[in-house]
Parts: sequence; C-alpha cells; structure tokens
Amino acid sequence: MNRPCNSMGPRVMDDDMLKLAVGDQGPQEEAGQLAKQEGILFKDVLSLQLDFRNILRIDNLWQFENLRKLQLDNNIIEKIEGLENLAHLVWLDLSFNNIETIEGLDTLVNLEDLSLFNNRISKIDSLDALVKLQVLSLGNNRIDNMMNIIYLRRFKCLRTLSLSRNPISEAEDYKMFICAYLPDLVYLDYRRIDDHTKKLAEAKHQYSIDELKHRENLMQAQLEDEQARREELEKHKTAFVEHLNGSFLFDSMYAEDSEGNKLSYLPGVGELLETYKDKFVIICVNIFEYGLKQQEKRKTELDTFSECVHEAIQENQEQGKRKIAKFEEKHLSSLSAIREESELRNIEKMILECSADISELFDALMTLEMQLVEQLEETINMFERNIVDMVGLFIENVQSLMAQCRDLENHHHEKLLEISISTLEKIVEGDLGEDLPNDLRALFVDKDTIVNAVGASHDIHLLKIDNREDELVTRINSWCTRLIDKIHKDEIMRNRKRVKEINQYIDHMQSELDNLECGDILD
Amino acid sequence: MEVLREKVEEEEEAEREEAAERAEWARMEKMMRPVEVRKEENTLKQETLRDLEKKLSEIQITVSAELPAFTKDTIDISKLPVSYKTNTPKEEHLLQVADNFSCQYSHLCPDRVPLFLHPLNECEVPKFVSTTLRPTLMPYPELYNWDSCAQFVSDFLTMVPLPDPLKPPSHLYSSTTVLKYQKGNCFDFSTLLCSMLIGSGYDAYCVNGYGSLDLCHMDLTREVCPLTVKPKETIKKEEKVLPKKYTIKPPRDLCSRFEQEQEVKKQQEIRAQEKKRLREEEERLMEAEKAKPDALHGLRVHSWVLVLSGKREVPENFFIDPFTGHSYSTQDEHFLGIESLWNHKNYWINMQDCWNCCKDLIFDLGDPVRWEYMLLGTDKSQLSLTEEDDSGINDEDDVENLVSLSSSRRPQLTVSTAFETRCPNGKKVIQYKRAKLEKWAPYLNSNGLVSRLTTYEDLQCTNILEIKEWYQNREDMLELKHINKTTDLKTDYFKPGHPQALRVHSYKSMQPEMDRVIEFYETARVDGLMKREETPRTMTEYYQGRPDFLSYRHASFGPRVKKLTLSSAESNPRPIVKITERFFRNPAKPAEEDVAERVFLVAEERIQLRYHCREDHITASKREFLRRTEVDSKGNKIIMTPDMCISFEVEPMEHTKKLLYQYEAMMHLKREEKLSRHQVWESELEVLEILKLREEEEAAHTLTISIYDTKRNEKSKEYREAMERMMHEEHLRQVETQLDYLAPFLAQLPPGEKLTRWQAVRLKDECLSDFKQRLINKANLIQARFEKETQELQKKQQWYQENQVTLTPEDEDLYLSYCSQAMFRIRILEQRLNRHKELAPLKYLALEEKLYKDPRLGELQKIFA
Repeated sequence: MNRPCNSMGPRVMDDDMLKLAVGDQGPQEEAGQLAKQEGILFKDVLSLQLDFRNILRIDNLWQFENLRKLQLDNNIIEKIEGLENLAHLVWLDLSFNNIETIEGLDTLVNLEDLSLFNNRISKIDSLDALVKLQVLSLGNNRIDNMMNIIYLRRFKCLRTLSLSRNPISEAEDYKMFICAYLPDLVYLDYRRIDDHTKKLAEAKHQYSIDELKHRENLMQAQLEDEQARREELEKHKTAFVEHLNGSFLFDSMYAEDSEGNKLSYLPGVGELLETYKDKFVIICVNIFEYGLKQQEKRKTELDTFSECVHEAIQENQEQGKRKIAKFEEKHLSSLSAIREESELRNIEKMILECSADISELFDALMTLEMQLVEQLEETINMFERNIVDMVGLFIENVQSLMAQCRDLENHHHEKLLEISISTLEKIVEGDLGEDLPNDLRALFVDKDTIVNAVGASHDIHLLKIDNREDELVTRINSWCTRLIDKIHKDEIMRNRKRVKEINQYIDHMQSELDNLECGDILD
Repeated sequence: MEVLREKVEEEEEAEREEAAERAEWARMEKMMRPVEVRKEENTLKQETLRDLEKKLSEIQITVSAELPAFTKDTIDISKLPVSYKTNTPKEEHLLQVADNFSCQYSHLCPDRVPLFLHPLNECEVPKFVSTTLRPTLMPYPELYNWDSCAQFVSDFLTMVPLPDPLKPPSHLYSSTTVLKYQKGNCFDFSTLLCSMLIGSGYDAYCVNGYGSLDLCHMDLTREVCPLTVKPKETIKKEEKVLPKKYTIKPPRDLCSRFEQEQEVKKQQEIRAQEKKRLREEEERLMEAEKAKPDALHGLRVHSWVLVLSGKREVPENFFIDPFTGHSYSTQDEHFLGIESLWNHKNYWINMQDCWNCCKDLIFDLGDPVRWEYMLLGTDKSQLSLTEEDDSGINDEDDVENLVSLSSSRRPQLTVSTAFETRCPNGKKVIQYKRAKLEKWAPYLNSNGLVSRLTTYEDLQCTNILEIKEWYQNREDMLELKHINKTTDLKTDYFKPGHPQALRVHSYKSMQPEMDRVIEFYETARVDGLMKREETPRTMTEYYQGRPDFLSYRHASFGPRVKKLTLSSAESNPRPIVKITERFFRNPAKPAEEDVAERVFLVAEERIQLRYHCREDHITASKREFLRRTEVDSKGNKIIMTPDMCISFEVEPMEHTKKLLYQYEAMMHLKREEKLSRHQVWESELEVLEILKLREEEEAAHTLTISIYDTKRNEKSKEYREAMERMMHEEHLRQVETQLDYLAPFLAQLPPGEKLTRWQAVRLKDECLSDFKQRLINKANLIQARFEKETQELQKKQQWYQENQVTLTPEDEDLYLSYCSQAMFRIRILEQRLNRHKELAPLKYLALEEKLYKDPRLGELQKIFA
C-alpha cells in the first residue's frame, strides 16, 4: 500500500508512545495541568487514537482495561492481536492496514462499530462473539464470495454495512442479494436502502430466503429441544432422582451382566424377567416422583427462609437508615452552630457533645446489628434443623423403596436359581433338546457353575442398586451441608460488611469533627 | 290510623284546642305581623329578651318563606284541552264507583277522615286521583333514574303550603298546569313525581298521609347539608399477615408490664373524661338544635311518593319526599302515618295501625286485610278476594280499562325549554342546618356561577365559616372556589385544560412572593411540575416523571438587596441563598454514582452532594465541594487542592480520589448550579405570569359554549340560519324552474287524453305567443317606468331652473340628491331594458326548444323524426 508514512520504518507500540498519546489526547487546560500533576493511569483512559504511526504489531494495550474507543487506522498492522483485555471496547477502527484474516476479536463482546476498511480480508469470519455489532465496514477488501453475506445474518443488531470495492460488489445482483438476505439493514455502502428496493429484493430472492429461513428455524427448534431436555435433566438432577423415571436403572443392571443375559434365554425366564422389570420400574418411578415432590418441598422451605431473612435484613436496614438520617440532621445543625460560635470554651463543649452523639449513634447501630445477628442465628438454626430432618426423611424413604427393589431382586434370583437348577436337572437327564444357545449350554456343566453364574448376576444387580442408592444419599447429604455452610458464611460476611460500614462511617464522622476542631483552633 | 287518633285524643285533649288556636294564630300572623308582635310582647312580658329575639327571627323566616298563593284565578283555563273540562261517561262511571266506595268506607269506618278520592281540577271538574297521574317518560336521559327525577321535581317547582295544613286540598291540578306555572303544593309535587317515576318504569305510588312539620314546610334547617358531609373514609382493614415459618422473633421486650398497665389505666381515665365531656357538649348542642315540639304533630297532612321494590332493580321499599327530592327509608320518623295511596291504576286505603309512625307498615298491597283496594283486578290483588261485594263493582275489568282510558286522553307531560333553567327564574335557595345552598341555572350568571354553599358557625347563620362556589362552562376551567373565612385562605380548583395546566391554586393574596400553593396537572406540562409551594422566603417545587429524575427543588431567598442604580424594579430578583435538589433513583446508574440530593449553598460557595444508598447498605456516600480561595498565598491561581473536596465513600474507589475527577465533578456542578439558578428564576417569572393570567381571567370570566349546544352557540346558530335561508331560496328557485309553462294551456283541453298532433302544434303556438306577449309586456313595463322617471326628472329640472334664485341651500341640496337618485334609477331602468332586449329572443328560443322536448308534446317530434 502506498502511504506517505511508509518512508519511516515500522514502529513498536511501547510505553513511551502510549504515554505520549494519552497525554496529548487527555484533558486540556486547567484539567490538563491537574492531570499532568497526578499522572494518568492507563486503565482510566476511555479513548485512544494511534493513527499514522507505522505500527506493525498491536502490543502493550493490556493495561487499558476500560478503553471504549480505539483507533489504529493507517498503520501497517498485519494481524489482529493483543486486544483480548479490552473487553469494554465499543468502537474499533482498524482501517487502512494490511490485515488478511479476521481474528482475535472473540473477547470484545461489547463491540458495536468495527471498521476494517482497506485491508486484505477475503473472508468474513470469526465475528461470532460480537453480538452487539451495529456497524461493519469492510469496503476495499478482497471478499469474493456471496456466501459471506449469509454469515452476517446472525448479527441481529447490524444496521450499517459497507462492502463496496470488493470483488463481490462487482456482481450485478450484489445490492439485491444483500438487501434480501439482510432485511434489517438500513444503510448499505453509506446509502439508505429505500423500501422499494427492499421489496424488490425480497420478491426476487424469496424462494431461497424462505428455504434458508426454514432451515434456520429447524435448527433453532432443535436447539430449543435440546435445551429443554437438558433443563429437564438438570431439574431431575437437583432432585437427585435423574434417570429413575424409566427402566434406565434396570437396563444398566443388565448392561454389564453377561451371565444374566445368557440366562434370560432359559425357558420361562423371559416372562419372569418381564414381570420383574415391570415391578422394578414401578418402584423406580415411585422413587422418582417422591424425589420431585420432596425437591419441591425443600425449595419452598428454602424460599420462605430466604424471604424471611431478606425481610428481616431490610427491616433492620430501614431502622438503621432512619437512625442515621436523624443523626445527620442533628449533626449538620450542630456543625454549623460550631462554625458560627466564637467562644472557644463553648466550641469545646459543643464538640464534646457532638462526639458523644457520634458514639451514641455507633452504639445504636451496633446494637441493631447485634440484635439482627442473634435473630438470624436463631432462624438459621431452625432452618438447619428442618432441612436436615427433611433430607433424613427423604433418605429413609428412598432407602425403604430401594430395599423393595432389592427384595424384588432377591425374589427374582431365587426364581432364577430354581429354574436353572431344574433346567440343569433336565439337561442332566437329557430331556432338554438342542434349542439352548451354545454359550448358555456351557454354563450347565455342573451345579456349582450354574449357581455361581446366577449368583454373579445377582451380585452385579445388587451392586448397581447399592451404587445408585449410595450416589443419591451422598449427593443429597453434600448438597445439604453445602447449603447450610453457605448460609452461615453469607450471614458472617453480611455481618462483617455491616460492621465495617458502620465503623467506616463513624470514623469519617469523627475525623470530620476532628478536622473542624483543628481548623478552628488554627483560626 | 284510628289508634293514632285515639292516642292524640287521650293524651293531648287539652292541647288540641290550644293547637287549633295556635294554627289560627299562625294564619293571623301572616296578615298582621307587626300587630301580632306587639301583642306577643305584651302578653309574654315575663319571657326573657333572648326568647323574644328568637321568636322574632322565627317569625321573620316564616314570612320570608311565604310565597304568592297559587289560586285558581291565576290559571288560564282557556287553553286546556276539552278533557279537562268535561268527564266522559266512563269517567262519570268511575266517579260514581268512587263515591260508592267512599260512602261504604265512611259507613264502615265512621271515625276516620273522609277519603281523598276525587278533588276538583283547575276547571272545577271532579277527577278521580288515579286519572290525574299521567305516566310519562321524559325525553331527557338525565331524568331516567329516580334520584334525578326527584331532584328535578324539587328544583323545578316552587313549594306552596297547603291552604289548610290539616286537610288534603280541595283542588288537585293536573301536572300539565303545575309544570306550566312551576309551583304547587305537596300533592302536586308528588303527583308529578309519581307520573314521571311510573313513566320510567318504577313501581311508584302517591301517598296521602301525615308528616312532620319540617317535612310539610320543606324546612331543611335541621338537616345537615349533604354537600358538607364528608365521605367517611373507609378504614382499610389491616390484613394481619400470618407470620411465616422463619419470621424472626422480635427482640425481647424489657419494659415493665406493671408500668404499662398503670399507663394504660391513666390513659383510659383521661379518655373517659374526654368522652364524657364530649358527650355533654353534644347533648347540649342537640338540645339547642332540637325543634320546638309541634302542637299539630301527627295531624299535618302531607303527600309523598312510595317506591316499592321489584321493578328497575329497586332492592327495597323507600319514600321520596317530593319537596326536597331526598329518599327516606320507610322507617323514617318524619313520616307519621298513611291514609291512602294510589297509582295510575288503583287506589288503596291503609287499614294498618300507625301508632308507631310508618315503622310497622307492611307494603303488601295484595293483602286485603292491610290494604283495602278500590278497584279489583289489578296486578296487586294476589290474595283471594273476599270482600268483593264491598267494592260494589262487578265489571272490574271495565273499570280498569276505564282508568287507563281516561288517563290516556290527557296530553303527555312536557317540559319545555325551562328544563335547563330548572328552578323558577333559574335560582333556588335552600337553607340547611348551619348552611345555605344557592343554585343557579347554567349561563344565568355571567361568571358561570352555578351554586354556592355557605357554611356557618352557628345555628343562627350569622358567622360565615366558609364559602364554596361551583362554576360551570368557564373558559379558564375554574370549577370550584373555596374561601375559608377563618383562615382567609382561598382555594381555586380547576378542571383539566387550563392554559397553564393549573389544578389547584390556594392563596391568601394575589401578590407575588406570598404564601401560596399551586398544583398542576403534571402530565400536561413539559417539565412534569406537580406542585409549587411558596412562602415569602422560599419556593419548593415537586416534580414527577422527568428524564433527569429530579423530584424536588427547594430554593430559599435572602432579603432583596437595594440597588443603588434605580433601574426598573422587576429586574432586581431576590438573591438565592440555597438551592436543594433531590432526585429519584436512576436505575441505569450504580447507586454510588447516582446523586440523591445536591445542595448549592450559593452564598457560602459550597456544594453538598449526597448519593443514593446501595441496596445492602445503610450509609450513603457524600461529597462536599468548597471553593473559598481562588488564589493562594503567593498569588498563584489554585486550580484544585485535596481539601476542596471532602468526600465520604461507602466503598472507597480508586478513581474518585483523583484530583482530576474531583475537578471535573466540580466544574460540572458549577454549570449545574448556574442552570438551577436560572430555573428558579424562571419559576418566579412563571408565578408572576400565572398571577397575571388569573387576574385577567377573573376580570373577563368568559364562558365557553359547547359546539353541541345549538341554542347558545351564536356562531352555529348563524350558520344554521344561513343554511336554512339558503335551503329556502334554493327551494323557491326549484319551484320556479319547475313551473310548468304548459299547465294553463293543457287545462283547457279535456284531461287524460293523448294530444293529437294538431292539438300539440296549436298548444305550442299558443304557449309561445303567450310567452312572446309576456316578454313584450315586460319590455313595455320597463319602458313605461323609464319614461315616467325621465319625465319626472325633467319636470323637476324645469322647476329648478325656474326657482333657482329663490331656493335655500337646503332645498338645493335636496334637489341635487334627488337628481342623482333619479339619474341612478333611470340608468338602472335603461340597463334592465337593454338586458331584456338582449335576453328576450334567447329566452323565447329556449322555451321553444324546451317545448319541443316536452314529452307531452311528443307528437311534435314525430314530424321531425
């Protein structure tokens, strides 16, 4: 690119350069003097202009945390980088550079205006994070594929787009295509799109757009479905009874149980298995429903608790505010009285009165706070007791239901053993024909083998059931302890914060009074 | 009724005579008041002066309440329809039935007063009372409900007392006459009201009975004015919130219960004493207000309206007093007994005992034991008819038809233009207990005053407490003016639509910079100002719904500095000492940056800021800027030093500690201060402007006239009249154009026959020649007039020539003016003649053409066809 500054060599964005720029662009006149006196911190800077400086590489910008507007135009930047920390950036100008690909913008979620005019970009890409984008300038680049436009459909706020002097803008359908595919666009290539053009474009590309829309809608629906399903599962998980509303547990019992699967081919076992499964699933569903109900109960309990605590805190705050307001009224009047008073002895007396008032306020506020702490502690303990009881009851009931599952399993096991042994006897007697699968046949060697096989299957089933139960119990217990810990911790934090606040306020008041005293004595 | 009588006889035997005597006196009083007074003075010497004074004032009141008698002489009976003057045979029959009924009744109940059945009407013709009722639904939507009807009747008519308070009147005029003369006694009132109520679908009855003195004389001086009664504030029941499971326990109460109990006891004692005192006070007042016992209590005849439940969703029976238009429950103690009642269909006699006023009466008219009916077969006869013979009538259906027939012969009641005027002469005064209500018709007063309520401190109505004046149709939207005489505070209330969006303006004087409160319709104002309060030294403004969240601005002023240069007085505003501004919470800003209150201490060059409090905090950030010295000890200009800004921050932040930040904040505040001062100054100007405008409005008090008010709206009236005139002219023109030329000629021919061709030709020729003749005649006529004028002019000129020498200047002037007029006339005639000459052939051709095309002369066309 031909630029006048090309004669200079490339420069580095170092501290001096940045300081100079900040100083030049900062406040002027009186404020400027102050600024110079104090120095400006980079993180306070809101806007920075770094144009025509032959910068090759973006660097050293990590300190500008609160930057809103950054101008880096008319440099020789080749790669977008080093902007990760500028999360508040709203306005970014990178025009007249040598950038080839769009990248490194993933953290700039607040960006509204992006200019990449006159670069070497050939593909619109990597802009997904810029959900607030309103203005996009990509003129004088190397974009040659119309499909890039479709990528821009995801930016719901995009109103202004410039793509002139790109290979695609040569196409005769260029304007119509953009108008049709980006119906919310208001300005294209610095011109307002009139309604007539919009209508024409829409008519022209209606079929393809409808198709596109249909596809987009389908995708959207799919996403929503997924989301809903995930939320449902999440809800179940918070109730600790996920996957219990069906045969999931039962299926998992047989998933790793090769013997059990083999044995199911025995005559009569099929039906047995069927009824077993039915009963088992009914119990699982029972557990599931019970869990959801309990979860609801726990939630309402927690809600009432937090509501009450909130109310109590609010009430207490109101009281505190009233006390402070009353105090301030009095304090202000006495301060002005002190200012007006000339007799030194009187002043001293009044100041003493004032500090007595301040300490009185301190006592009152602290008493309030202590009272609240006591009240809350009581309430929290009560809640703790209740929630622990609830959890205990829930666990107990779930355990009894699980015990029913185990009973079922035992029953099934006995039945299976019976059938197996009778089958073995039959095989030994040679009654049974060849209709058994070979691997199953291999089990019927002697009584021990078959009993072991059935036993192993039984053990696996029991293990699965136990595991599920243990998981449930541990999770709910840990939830309970975490909840209670959090409540306690929050309360302690709140208390500390309030005490700190009160102290700070009182200190300020006292120091104000002291200052007054000093000032008066000096006078 | 009998029992009541007996009671009266037993207990007040002696008093009865005295009462009659007194009644006699009362009548005499009216005729010879001064004599009476003196007489009383003589006879009642032992009475205290105070009593006398009281009596005197009472007498005066009765006299002032006296109204011109409503006698037969004043009524013009010539315009009344025939049905008023005669009775049809059916009516005669009905009267006979009534007579018969009356005879039987007096035979059966000899100790009761005769029935009020067929009084004479204005034409001295007896009419049965039920036929006097004429159910009418008025064409005014406001008169559809009973309360508005009753109010209308009470406003519209002037009350005339009964000639004899102990007897029903001998005459009962028709409602048409009553409406026309706008006055009547209680029977006239109730007849009219009953007609209107039945017409609008109520189950209403006229009642002939006995009322209290107040009721009979329409004396409201013991009633509390309904306008002064404040609506009772409905005490909101505090919903006892059920304590939630985890509601915190209140802190332990460390007060001594014993002490509390003692305190409560003491309080109770004090309260009991207070109550006792209050009760005594009340009793004393009641005593003072209580009416003197009425000697004729229970004997005064009154007529009112009874509305029974059932129709028009009336939930329970009630009385309406037609004089006041108020409704009373049937238990009310003003109503002392019922003799009989009637509607447009039937007549019932009360057979129940009235010893306990009307409290025990049961209004089941179908019950023949309680209510003796006159005519059989109406819808109220629900019980079996055991006394059929008593009524002596066999053809009841006929009779019923008879009643309805005879009443339908009478004209519908109409209220003419007087409806809007309401009261006779558009004015009405009602005296209440400690209050006086005056009413005027809209547009009667040029300042739009429609009613005025004066409240007095005492019963004698001498010390005015407050005056309320209601206005209507004012251009400045003034609705109510309230003057409190004790505090001298005037309050004006406005309807929406004032040019300055005023809602309420309360003040003591119209001078600026005095105590005043102005409230505004804040939605009508751009700056969202709700209220502005002023005292001599301060001005407080309240805002709502502003984009900058300003809610309150308070400015206090110092004493005005005397300027040495004597410039105009207006440009010397009071110096502002302090401006306080408060803001609502701006949800877009964090609390510690959102200013809640800023105080500009203009004189001290100090600015105080207080920020909003964060949700979970009890203290709010504060900042105070001082700017005392501009220059330091060495003469260098100080820009900003740390001690110029004292700040307290709830959560100290890094950037706010910087001088630069503080400097910028201070600069911003200085600009804001300037703006605020300007605002205050503008507010002061606005107050001046409002005061000026109000004064102008008060002086002009223009009234607005709705565009729908066709009667008063001059513009629309003119327009309408112009339209009518135009319509009329248009109509005339059309008639002219439709004038049939052929008609006179066609009339000569036998009608209904088709014209032969010959006839048609002849007809045409005749018509044309006739027209030609007429044109010639017209030309001749104009010519003749022209010549006559010319001749006269010539004569005059000749005369002038001859007498020119002897003429006075006046005569000469006369002559000259005559000449010019004559010349003018001649010229006009000449023009007309010329024009006629031009137009005549054209008109002739046009007629010919028209005749050719006339379908009746179709034969003519055939020649050319």
